[in-house]
Amino acid sequence: MVNPGLFEGYETGSFYDEMFSSPGQPRAQYTKLFQKLASMAPSQFEERRKLADLSFLIQGITFTVYSDGRGTERLFPFDLIPRILPHSEWEHIDRGLSQRVMALNLFLQDIYGKQTILKDKKIPRWLVYSCPNFRREVIGVEVARGIYTHICGIDLVRDSKSGDFYVLEDNVRTPSGISYVLENRLVMTRTLPEAFQACEVLPVHHYPAELARILRSLSSRGEADAQIVLLTPGIHNSAYFEHSFLAQQMGIELVEGRDLIVDGGIVYMKTIRGLQRVDVIYRRVDDEYLDSLTFRPDSVLGVPGLMGAYRAGTVALANAVGNGIADDKAIYAYVPEFIRYYLGEEPILKTVETFLCANPKDLEYVLEHLPQLVVKAVGESGGYGMLMGPTADRAKLMDFADRLRANPRNYIAQPVVGLSRVPSYDPSTGSVAGRHVDLRPYCLYDGEKVTIVPGGLTRVALQPNSLIVNSSQGGGSKDTWVLRGED
Amino acid sequence: MLSRIAESLFWLARYIERAEDTARILDVNYHMLLEQSQQSYRLRWEPLIIMAGEDKLFRKLYDEVNAENVFEFLAFSEENPSSIVQCISKARENARTIRDRISREMWEDINGLYYTVTRFHPREEIAAGPHRFCDKIKFGAHRFHGVTDATLPHDEGWEFLRIGWGLERAEMTARLVDVQYHNLLDALPSVGAPDNHQWMAVLRSVGAYEAYHREYHSAIEPEKVAEMLILHFQHPRSIRFSASEVQAGLRAVSGSGPGAYGNEAERLAGRVVERLRYDRVSEIFKQGLHSYLEELLRMCGAIGEDIARTYFYYAVVA
Repeated sequence: MVNPGLFEGYETGSFYDEMFSSPGQPRAQYTKLFQKLASMAPSQFEERRKLADLSFLIQGITFTVYSDGRGTERLFPFDLIPRILPHSEWEHIDRGLSQRVMALNLFLQDIYGKQTILKDKKIPRWLVYSCPNFRREVIGVEVARGIYTHICGIDLVRDSKSGDFYVLEDNVRTPSGISYVLENRLVMTRTLPEAFQACEVLPVHHYPAELARILRSLSSRGEADAQIVLLTPGIHNSAYFEHSFLAQQMGIELVEGRDLIVDGGIVYMKTIRGLQRVDVIYRRVDDEYLDSLTFRPDSVLGVPGLMGAYRAGTVALANAVGNGIADDKAIYAYVPEFIRYYLGEEPILKTVETFLCANPKDLEYVLEHLPQLVVKAVGESGGYGMLMGPTADRAKLMDFADRLRANPRNYIAQPVVGLSRVPSYDPSTGSVAGRHVDLRPYCLYDGEKVTIVPGGLTRVALQPNSLIVNSSQGGGSKDTWVLRGED
Repeated sequence: MLSRIAESLFWLARYIERAEDTARILDVNYHMLLEQSQQSYRLRWEPLIIMAGEDKLFRKLYDEVNAENVFEFLAFSEENPSSIVQCISKARENARTIRDRISREMWEDINGLYYTVTRFHPREEIAAGPHRFCDKIKFGAHRFHGVTDATLPHDEGWEFLRIGWGLERAEMTARLVDVQYHNLLDALPSVGAPDNHQWMAVLRSVGAYEAYHREYHSAIEPEKVAEMLILHFQHPRSIRFSASEVQAGLRAVSGSGPGAYGNEAERLAGRVVERLRYDRVSEIFKQGLHSYLEELLRMCGAIGEDIARTYFYYAVVA
C-alpha cells in the first residue's frame, strides 16, 4: 500500500469516481499516476500548480467575462490532476462518436437537400420547420464536398450510477475549447513530466494540421493556391485566444469581418498589396451574424454579401451554415433514429431519454414530474436557459411550468444524469476532493472519415457539489489522457 | 499581409517607443531636480507636460505642477492617453489582436511587461521616486526590441514595426529638443548663469551623454547638443537616424531602389532624410530652432498619414 499523501482522507462518495474503484484503491489506468502524485508532498504539488497558473497567465490563455461591465480577462482554471481513460474505453467512444458525426452530416445534407427523411416520416416535418436554427436560406445550396460538420465538439458525461457514457449535446455549430486541450497538454508535460512519461499517453498535437488539411480540401480553386482564413468576431470575443491560437498553429490568416469584402460574388481580404481572393473561411462567427444582407441587418461582425458568394460556391464555410438544426435539443432525441435511417446501424453511444414538451403527452408528464427533471431550452447552449428540477425552489418550478405551457416547442426535459467525479485540487484548502466532470472530444470530418484527437477537453465543476462545468459559471478544465495500447 | 495587421504592428511599435521615451525623460528630469534649487522647480516640470502634448488635460486634473503630480500623470494616469501605463496597455492590446502573427516570445514578453506595469502601486512608486519604475519600462522596451529582432522573421511585418519605432522616436526627440530649448532660452536671463544641467539631462534622457563627450571633447553647449540630437548620423535616437529607419523600412516594403520612391510617404521620408543629411546646425539656428523642428514634426505627421492612406485604409466601395 502506497502512502496516500495528497489523497489522504479522499472520499469517493456515492459517485462514480474516475480514479478510485473504492476508497484508496486506484483503477488500473490510474495506478502509475497515483504512485507519482502520492509520493509528492502537498507543498511540492502546490508549487507545481502555481507554476502552471503562471504559465497560463504569461501566455495570455484567458477568456473574457463581461459580468463586471469592463470585460476583464480571466484564467480558465486548470486542475493539475488529469482525467485518464483506458485505451479500450476510448476506442468505444471513438467508434460511437464517428458514427454519430457521419449520421449528423447525412442528416444535414438531406434536410437542406432532398428531405427524404421527412418524406419517409422518420421525423415530424413540423419539428424541423419550427426550429429557430433551421435556415431556409441555405436549402438547395451545394456545400463543398458535401461536408457540413467539419468540426464537432460532442459533449459526453459518464453516468454516475451505471458508469456508462452518454451523449449530452452535439455542438455542431462553432464549438470551442480545443485550444485548451492543446495548451493544457503542453503545460502538463512541463509541470508533471515524470508522471506524464510514466503513463504513456497518446498525443493530441496533430489537431491543427488535420483541421488545416480538411480546410484546404474545400477550396474551389485547388489546394495549392487555397487562401484560408479564420474569421473571428474580434478581440472582445470570449474565445478570442483560441481563434488566434488556431490561426497561428495552422499558419492561416486571422481576419475580422472588416478585413473582408465581397465584390462580384467573390470574397477578398484587404492587404497592404491590394485585394486578395479568399477561398475557405473557418468561421467562428455565428450564422445570424455572418452576413447583414441575409441575416441580422445590424451585424457588423460579418461580411455583407458573404452568403451570395457561399451560394455561388466561390467560397467555402466551415462549419456549414444551418448546422444549428442538428444542435436543437428536440432534434437530439432523433439522432439514434438518424443513425439507423442513414447508416443502417444501431447507435453505439447512449443518449439521454428526452421528453419533447411539444408533444402534449410528454408535456403532461414533464409538468407532473418537474422536480425530478432537467428542463432545457432547445436552442441554447453553455448551460443557459436551464432548470435543474431537484435543486430548484418552488417559485422557479412554477415559473418554468408557466414557460413550458406558453411555449412548449422551446423546451425539452430529461432525467438528471449524475456526473462522474475526478479528484481535483482545491487551492483554498490545500487538499484533494472529488469534483464532477464531463468530456468534450473534438471530431474532424473530411467527407470520408472522422478523426478524433484522443481524449478531448475534460471540464470540471470546481465548486463542491456543482454540476455546472461551463467556464462562464465557475468551471475549469483538466488534461485528458488516453493511454497507449493495452490497459 | 492584412492591412489591419500592418497597422497594428505599426502602432505596437509606436506605443512601446512612446512609453520608453516618456520613461527616460521622466527618470532623468526627476533625478536632475534633486540637485537643483527650489527656485527653478516649477519651470523644470512644465516642459515635460508640454512635451507630452497634454498640458491642458494636466491642468484640468491637477492644481499644482509638482514632481508627484507630474510623475503620476505621465506614468500611471488613466486619463492621460499617453501615460506610460496606457501606452503599454495599448501596445499589448495591439499585440493581442495580432498574436497569431508575432512570435510567441514577443507576445509573452509584452504580456509579461503589461502585468508588471499594471501591478505597480502608483502611490508606493510615487513615494519611492520614478527610477525603479522607469527602469523597468526602459529595459522592458529594450528587451522587446531584442526579442523582436531575434524571433520575428525580418519580413514586411518587421518593417512596419521598424517604421513605427523610427517615426515615433523621431517625433519624440524633436519634441524633447524643442521644448527644452525653448524653456532654456526663456529661463536664462532670470537664472542668470549658464545652466548646463538641463542640457545634460536632455542628453542623458536619450542615452547620449557619454557619446556626446566622445564626439565633441568639450563642455556642454546647446548648439552641439542640438546638432547631436538632430543631425547625428549614427546615434540611434537622433532625428536623422530615426528618419533613416523610417525611410529604409518604407523602401523595404515597397521595393523602391535608392533615389526612387513608390508613394507619398516614401517621398516625404526621403525629403526629411536628405534635409537632415545636408543641413548644418548653424543654419538651423539661423532659421530658428523652433520653426525648424515644427516643420520636421509636421512632415513626420504627414508621413504617418500617408502610410495609413497607402497601406492601412481602403476607401469604402459603394
